Amino acid sequence: MKVNHTLPLEYRTEENSNKILGFWIFLGAEIALFATLFAVYLTLWQRAGNGPTAAEIFEMKPVLAETFLLLTSSFTIGLAVHSMRLGLKKPTLVFYLITLLLGAGFLGIEIFEFYTYVHEGATLQTSAFLSSLFILLGTHGAHVTLGLLWGIAIMIQIKREGFNEYTANKSFIFSLYWHFLDVVWIFIFSFVYLKGLM
Amino acid sequence: MMKQLFPIKHVMGYLLSLVLSAVALVVLIPDLSYNVKLTILLVSAAIQASIQLFLFMHIQEEKGTKSTLYINIIYALFVGLVTIFGTLLTMIWGYM
Repeated sequence: MKVNHTLPLEYRTEENSNKILGFWIFLGAEIALFATLFAVYLTLWQRAGNGPTAAEIFEMKPVLAETFLLLTSSFTIGLAVHSMRLGLKKPTLVFYLITLLLGAGFLGIEIFEFYTYVHEGATLQTSAFLSSLFILLGTHGAHVTLGLLWGIAIMIQIKREGFNEYTANKSFIFSLYWHFLDVVWIFIFSFVYLKGLM
Repeated sequence: MMKQLFPIKHVMGYLLSLVLSAVALVVLIPDLSYNVKLTILLVSAAIQASIQLFLFMHIQEEKGTKSTLYINIIYALFVGLVTIFGTLLTMIWGYM
């Protein structure tokens, strides 16, 4: 096995390097997925029918809280990878834990937001606007949910095995995923909520 | 120790993201024109996405795969933008 010691642990074997490349290609496919959902939303968002319009149901406060939580979690997962590269196991795990707690907080607010909408009679079936909104937000939320489970699995493995080619590689790939979710959220924040309220 | 755990690049990137999110909020001021608002949203979102990509995701760090990654992301963005703007063109703008 060819091992290049000048690279960070997660890149060191050819297999690891290929896994990271493969994950970037997956993220490329995710960009295409979210682009289709944004295309649908941006086409239909003014078709509220008899239901509420975007300006009527969007509330800025919870959205700002969600944005803050997710931006911060993206920062802390970056710090986790940074500590991992310094070989510091405990700080890495702490940053991972903070990231996942912030992610859980984000998800909690989003679930509450959905609950409020449905309670106000704004359901998936109400209008084209709400269908496309729920699908776009729900797909992002489902990604965050998967990320939480994935992150927990990675924490267990780092705790059990420390840093080796496998755990470092998995942990780095998770960080790419998490940053990507933040990128998608930035676009939701700007082109769903802010655009809907402006 | 704190300096080691919180590298300045990451801290600056994080602060810049927060500032840009706050800047995007000016679109809620009713006086601005629609085009100005849309430009603010596009620019702030694009810069924030770049911060994630270059600062946090380290897209340019591995020499061997760097160009492949760029081509892959540029291609994905191309597909995404064509999907979004193509849809808007055929479904909305074409009828205006």
